[in-house]
Amino acid sequence: MWNDKKSISLSKLCVLVFTAMLIGTDLSAPWLVRWFVDFSRANLVGKEAFFLVTIYSGSVPAAVLLFCLYRLLRRIELEQVFIATNVNYLRRISWSCFVGAIICFASMLYYFPWVFVAVAAAFMGLIVRVIKNVIAQAVELKNESELTI
Amino acid sequence: MPIIVNLDVIMAKRKISSGELGEKVGISQANLSILKTGKAKAIRFSTLEAICKALDCQPGDILEFKEQDLK
Repeated sequence: MWNDKKSISLSKLCVLVFTAMLIGTDLSAPWLVRWFVDFSRANLVGKEAFFLVTIYSGSVPAAVLLFCLYRLLRRIELEQVFIATNVNYLRRISWSCFVGAIICFASMLYYFPWVFVAVAAAFMGLIVRVIKNVIAQAVELKNESELTI
Repeated sequence: MPIIVNLDVIMAKRKISSGELGEKVGISQANLSILKTGKAKAIRFSTLEAICKALDCQPGDILEFKEQDLK
């Protein structure tokens, strides 16, 4: 029978899969970039170093995002949902998305399609930011209701 | 907060302990402590009514408004 615990476990598993994919991408980045440059019809020869810089600099906010996501899920698992710590995690996730968007936006200078990733990341950051605002209000309401005697 | 809770003063005047008051009002020691220390954000009318009944006093005896110095 499907329940909340299994749902959280599935989410955690997905985060771990994405973490493994991130590590795999970082380790195989030089080969991936070489394959992409060879495969692409656009003339990207000589731009391999730029791709590597984008991948490695983008890995930092991605790692922060995945770590915060895992910690957030762990807190939810422990039934600590409406707490200030989770608001901080959501804030970090949102900022990680924005940092990723900035990196992709800058990478647009040598490869235009990065703009699609930048827009997607920025939009994701915006959604998480709104969720963070909602949770922050919920935390305040919960504290107020707990301190109503 | 500019609302001061003078519950401990009234309790001392009536010579009633926290345990006894908590039992009469039907609230826990922890909640009574929150109320006495001024950490409470709000008080229900039902709780106020029960406290006033238990201590034989008026809400104004327990709650006091003091202008807050914002400097």
